[in-house]
Amino acid sequence: MNNLIPLMRREWLQHRFVWAMLLLVPLGLAVMLLSFGQIEMGEAMAERPPEDVAAVMGSMTIVITAAICFLLVWITSVFMTSGLARRDHGDRSVEFWLSLPTGHAESYAAPLLVHLLLAPAVALVVGLAGGYALSLLVVSRFLSLADWLSLPWGHIVAATLAVAARVVAGLPLATLWLSPLILLAVLCNALFKRWGLPVLVVGLGLGGVVLKYVFGQPLLSQALARLGSEAATALVGASQTAPTGDRPSALGTLKALPGWAAHDFGEALSAAASPAMLGAVAVAAALFAALVYWRRQGAGMTG
Amino acid sequence: MNDNLVEAKSLSISYGAKRAVDDVSFNIPKGRVVGLLGHNGAGKSTLMRAMVGLAQGTGGLTVLGLDPCKDRVQLLQNACYIPDVAILPRWARVEELISMMSGLNPNFSAERARQLLKRTSVGLRDKVKTLSKGMMVQAHLALTAAIDARLMILDEPTLGLDVLSRKAFYEMLIDEWCDGERSVLISTHQVEEIESLLSDVLMLNEGKLVLSISLEDMDRRFVALSHDSAVADAMSAAHPLLRYRTGPGPAGNAAIFDGAPPEHVMALGQRVRPNLVDLFVALTRKPELDRTQF
Repeated sequence: MNNLIPLMRREWLQHRFVWAMLLLVPLGLAVMLLSFGQIEMGEAMAERPPEDVAAVMGSMTIVITAAICFLLVWITSVFMTSGLARRDHGDRSVEFWLSLPTGHAESYAAPLLVHLLLAPAVALVVGLAGGYALSLLVVSRFLSLADWLSLPWGHIVAATLAVAARVVAGLPLATLWLSPLILLAVLCNALFKRWGLPVLVVGLGLGGVVLKYVFGQPLLSQALARLGSEAATALVGASQTAPTGDRPSALGTLKALPGWAAHDFGEALSAAASPAMLGAVAVAAALFAALVYWRRQGAGMTG
Repeated sequence: MNDNLVEAKSLSISYGAKRAVDDVSFNIPKGRVVGLLGHNGAGKSTLMRAMVGLAQGTGGLTVLGLDPCKDRVQLLQNACYIPDVAILPRWARVEELISMMSGLNPNFSAERARQLLKRTSVGLRDKVKTLSKGMMVQAHLALTAAIDARLMILDEPTLGLDVLSRKAFYEMLIDEWCDGERSVLISTHQVEEIESLLSDVLMLNEGKLVLSISLEDMDRRFVALSHDSAVADAMSAAHPLLRYRTGPGPAGNAAIFDGAPPEHVMALGQRVRPNLVDLFVALTRKPELDRTQF
């Protein structure tokens, strides 16, 4: 596995422009809109004390910005990953990559690692940093620079970092929950080329409907729904409780967030320690083995 | 100690019902430059891909003492390979490819690659998608030749290169890369260009190995007689492998024999060195196409 780092570097070299655009364009748009657009406060906010309003504005800006950056890169990465098996066929460089001394398994593992874990995690960190910068714009435009400077930064930083750490820690779990679907999409694209995703969608959709309504067996649709919901709660919200703290104030919530994040991750871990997760990992392992077999057979070159 | 870098024993490779390589056996010792000749679809590329673990067959095949399929990664660190569709990733810059190959192959010399690229019109900062086909081949050849390998497997390596670049590449290959320990297996349809470089030749015809011989043995075994058209019937009666034209006029005829023909036939013509192309045609022509009729 010494080749993992160079292969991961390949992903950076190949996709850095896309990732940069995915992060810079929304951040740039946000800066433009916040600089020149109109910001209105709802009635509920107007009733809050000014320091509470500033704290809510600042922390929400940070969280929303980080979430948007993370989701944009994560969803794009999942979509890009689905074409992994045939991505070098477009420019016909597949023969070049196959002529290099890299194993078939690591040739899949490195991009999966980068696209499904590293890129979204880095996007979250970049989003967090962008969020801090945007919070300056939001709070100073709506209130004042002094209000931004007097924000409870200790609590805000602790809370946002805790939530970010919670999402990053949950990302591998979410990826594991979704791995059967993701790898099935990769395999379908490998076998059916451009028809891979339509075949997958129609196959799963039709299969679920037929099983449910013809055979009275909703197993497939239930399994798909379970994978989706488990992946979502693996990222955040596994505990099904709100981090309000003792007082339902912004400061109270901020203070409660680190503890809540740790508890929430514990719940996500508990949910992962289940036969369903074992099943998902087993299916994903089988699909990964099928992909390696497909590449080893040289189908990548002739197909 | 076994000096063979490649050993194939009864190797067969099939794609579904089609047998691309059929019961092939040969060895490639170290220090040889071997030409792999065959018509389109003869199984050359399949055989080469099998040698680097990209095609699986039955029978025995060891390359550098390794099983190409099981030990592909280890093998490709010591054997470099240029496939017949040598196309580099379009999104990369040449220097990025050098950097990536440095990370992926411990026997790759980035310095050597840069030296070789200096001889071409390819710049390090050039993006592959901006290179012409010939420049891309030059870049690929430079990257491959910068690997300190024991075996180089080249499948139509100079496709798209102009004659000067082809000549420069072959000169580099023989003068700088080959050191008496390394071997090269090269497949090309431009047989005339590489004939003088080869030490051995393998000829494939519809998946079967019809000839595996050194050039010295080839000269000894096959006899080509240049003759006048007036003795054409007598030559035909001696059942040559092939009769062909070598030039204009009645004297521009020749016949190739496997082994020395009878003395009275030898007396009818003048012995000349058998040409690799003509020998290739003689051994791989389809029987239904009678090329002995001028």
